[in-house]
Amino acid sequence: MKVVEVKNLTVAYDNNVVLHDISFDIEAENICAVIGPNGSGKTTLLKAILGLAPIEEGKIKIFGKTIKEALSQISYVPQRFTFDKTFPITVEEFMALSLRPRNKKNLIDEKLNELEMLEVKNQLLGSLSGGQLQRVLIARSLLNDPLILFWDEPISGIDIGGERTFYQLARHLNQDHKITIILVSHELDVVYKFANQVVCLNKKLICQGVPEKVLTSEKIAELYGPISLYKHQHRHE
Amino acid sequence: MNNLMLDLLQFPFMQRALLAGLFLALLLALLGIFVILRKMSFWGDGLAHASLAGIALALLLAINPLFLAIVIAVIFALLVYYLERKTTLSSDAIIGVLFTSLMALGIILLSFKAGYQPDLISYLFGNILAIKNSDLYLMAVCTAVILYFLLKYRKQLTLITFDKESAYLAGINVNLFDLIFYIFLAVAVVLGVKILGIVLVSALLIIPASIAKLVAKSFRLINILSVIFAEIIVSLGLVISYYFNLPSGAVIILTGTLIFLVMVLAKHLKLMPE
Repeated sequence: MKVVEVKNLTVAYDNNVVLHDISFDIEAENICAVIGPNGSGKTTLLKAILGLAPIEEGKIKIFGKTIKEALSQISYVPQRFTFDKTFPITVEEFMALSLRPRNKKNLIDEKLNELEMLEVKNQLLGSLSGGQLQRVLIARSLLNDPLILFWDEPISGIDIGGERTFYQLARHLNQDHKITIILVSHELDVVYKFANQVVCLNKKLICQGVPEKVLTSEKIAELYGPISLYKHQHRHE
Repeated sequence: MNNLMLDLLQFPFMQRALLAGLFLALLLALLGIFVILRKMSFWGDGLAHASLAGIALALLLAINPLFLAIVIAVIFALLVYYLERKTTLSSDAIIGVLFTSLMALGIILLSFKAGYQPDLISYLFGNILAIKNSDLYLMAVCTAVILYFLLKYRKQLTLITFDKESAYLAGINVNLFDLIFYIFLAVAVVLGVKILGIVLVSALLIIPASIAKLVAKSFRLINILSVIFAEIIVSLGLVISYYFNLPSGAVIILTGTLIFLVMVLAKHLKLMPE
């Protein structure tokens, strides 16, 4: 079953085309990695799917519905969450703002605990380190039992131990809770380890499909330029 | 102190002033939190000054100035909302253009009315004697409606203030909430013009919320503290102005400033718990 359908998507900011004629589908329960060099339009693609970027042409459907109709079934962790650090709001209050009324408040504790962040519950959000904030944002993205998670470079700022926890969590959510995960990454390693679908971008679609099949040396060179590549030894954990 | 209060409350004008002040303090304290956190402090000044056009027109037509001032302030809010979305100009530039224009219009309208204008002076600098029962009823109704909105949609308003992108993704109609917030802010600021005056009313929007932000360690606390400080500032200011026979609006604001300075100093000297 297709959960995300992108057809002939073109995105432009002030007549400057950032993404051109992109088409692909994402099947339910996939872990889809969006890769590409800096400035290739990865974040823009995610934002366009979420209705946060100006769509010049094309159509996007989530669960066969418009973006706005599907908002209650998705959640998003941005690459950089910028906010006023002096805003007097605790982590718990911040989480509660996104908690849907049908959900109970102890869900906040549960999700913070899953990300090993329960101890910062009563701290001011602005006092957290970059890595702590990222974990809180991931915990928030899990609050309302989303069916699709959009994560834009979710582990930026998280230390190595946290990275491992994060990928274990991602795998657990995907395999046990059947959640589709769409994540932007600049690390090819992540793609091979975790994704079963890849979307390669450089303002246009370079390739998409199962990583082992579509990520050929030629495609990677097309994506990142003529760099020396070592053959990746794929190893399932 | 009790005797002083009883003495003061025997006058109906003082009862009305105190009641109106308490309504206003509650309203502006809660709206002020969103105003300072959204960096909209210039809004209060802009709205109050723009309302001069409504007051002037009402004085010319000999109708209730408060009502017409609210109408003009709401039109001002709608224009800012529209221009923010249709131009690349920043809010403060738009407010700067609009409020000076409406004030200029007010001055021209007033030039058609000959002689000394005591009503105008009371609107410019505030006058507790000018508060009528009809003003009090209007204040009570407006306070109830705006308060209901602020409490019922507290979560949505806070999320929009904190991060508009998160608010949109939570399914909140950000534009609609912004529009309603702007309109209610316009109404609340103009309600304060009678007590505090066009020149000073925005201070009650900014000072209590700013004092609260200095010390609050949560969003819940900034709400509670802002209201407490606003109520103390208004009541204390009114009492002081009565006993020393000083202009009430100015005394209320300076009372707030004094508390603000004490809190800044206490924070600087680390006299408050971290």
